[in-house]
Amino acid sequence: MPIETAEPIIQMRHVDKHYGQLHVLRDINLDVQKGEVVVLIGPSGSGKSTLCRTINRLETIDSGEILFEGKPLPQEGKELAALRAEIGMVFQSFNLFAHKTILDNVTMGPVEVLHRNRKDAEAEAMELLARVGVEAQAQKVPAQLSGGQQQRVAIARSLAMHPKAMLFDEPTSALDPEMINEVLEVMVELAQEGMTMVVVTHEMNFARRVSNRVVFMADGQIVEQNTPDEFFDHPQSARAKDFLDSIKGH
Amino acid sequence: MSANISMRDALYEAPGPKTQRRVRIGTAISLVLLVAFIAFVIRQFYINDQLNPKYWSFFARWTTWRFLLKGFIGTIKVAFAAGIIAMALGLLLMLGRISPNKVLSATCHVITDLFRSLPSLLLIYFFFLVIPKYGIRMPAFWMITVPVALAASGVLAEVFRAGVNAVPKGQVEAAMSLGMTHGKITRKIVLPQALRIVIPSLVSQLVVVVKDTTVAYVVSYPDLMQNARVLISNYDALVSMYFVVALIYIAINYATNQFSVYLAERSGTQVLSRVDENPV
Repeated sequence: MPIETAEPIIQMRHVDKHYGQLHVLRDINLDVQKGEVVVLIGPSGSGKSTLCRTINRLETIDSGEILFEGKPLPQEGKELAALRAEIGMVFQSFNLFAHKTILDNVTMGPVEVLHRNRKDAEAEAMELLARVGVEAQAQKVPAQLSGGQQQRVAIARSLAMHPKAMLFDEPTSALDPEMINEVLEVMVELAQEGMTMVVVTHEMNFARRVSNRVVFMADGQIVEQNTPDEFFDHPQSARAKDFLDSIKGH
Repeated sequence: MSANISMRDALYEAPGPKTQRRVRIGTAISLVLLVAFIAFVIRQFYINDQLNPKYWSFFARWTTWRFLLKGFIGTIKVAFAAGIIAMALGLLLMLGRISPNKVLSATCHVITDLFRSLPSLLLIYFFFLVIPKYGIRMPAFWMITVPVALAASGVLAEVFRAGVNAVPKGQVEAAMSLGMTHGKITRKIVLPQALRIVIPSLVSQLVVVVKDTTVAYVVSYPDLMQNARVLISNYDALVSMYFVVALIYIAINYATNQFSVYLAERSGTQVLSRVDENPV
């Protein structure tokens, strides 16, 4: 199901990045359309997480440019913070604020960044928590929740900011197998509602079922990209074929 | 207490029957040695006539205790004021040191290391002997409180910095991704967690502050130690007086430690983030 609108919300142009000697991103060119779900896959160390994190500038880049809604990413300060407020991010290790209750985790952004009044923020937070199925845990602290519950809270926390796009950096990689699906289900729902999503994942079923496009990376480069059916059934490059062979049976 | 037991469990495997027997024998031997030692101390006291009622009878007088109580209050006042100032200044020094502003950071680094490495007695002499020469006169209370606070602030700045460094990077990244600004992240996310992490080291440092106040005699400030010295010269009772004063200091610091245990339990270890960092 390719997106036809051709209204790019994220544009990456000739993006390069090094970690010392290591060339982690090599001449990355990638457009993400509004409402599109793009899945980044590739072997460990291929740069897919780094790419994902450059989009809200958690990682800086050496050269090239990244545009969000047609404007270059601000480099620092209030402008950068304002941009980040428009892009949701879900981390591998959840990163819920450990000293805050679940409810306070979800209201933190709306209250502190969007300056909404606490009552309204809490009402909406409870709705979001109900939507991801953890409203009963609202008064607990993160450490009292299972990994799957924590990750669903993290998604609710991002949604509370009404983001224009969401980044998922290996959202299920730190979860026990039985908790992966509860998180993926929430993500599937989001995708169906038309959220723009960039997802770094090893969940090939999710990629196949939900994404509009699969981007395969290796050694810091985008090796190939295609619709999920085409990519999984007819990979073009040797790297992609090897990768898909190596994960078969999972 | 449960923390100690789990720590021991983590470090040593459960003892088998042979080890248990050895532990029992060892316990018995050390008990015997302990009793022997106490008997020896009492005997030495007796031989040196330290058990003579004249060295102890003045403790029955209300005036003795009232004088000691005055000193005790003096000690508490200095320790409390110095502790508050040291914590505030330590926090500021740490915030300056971790600031992205290079000049501010370097300045705070130097000040921190300076206060940390200077003996507090030297700082006291500075405030007692040097500063008055330039016409600045302060009451004895401040001549002891300020240097003790400065000496402690350097160490506390490092304690706070260790706490800030111990807050997982993911906490800051999550706050940044929500669009929080640097100042807000520090106030709302980093400091609250860092402070919880450092409560135990913070309190042990405050115990050092209490001990530092004992050099108040240098500036003739009437703290517990100074008043004890006065009583010693009045009654010529060195050993008995220092014995009692030592017990009081132990009590103060024991209470401080219990307070830290209470604080640590109340803030709850479970609210500390223990998520492993595993970036790809």
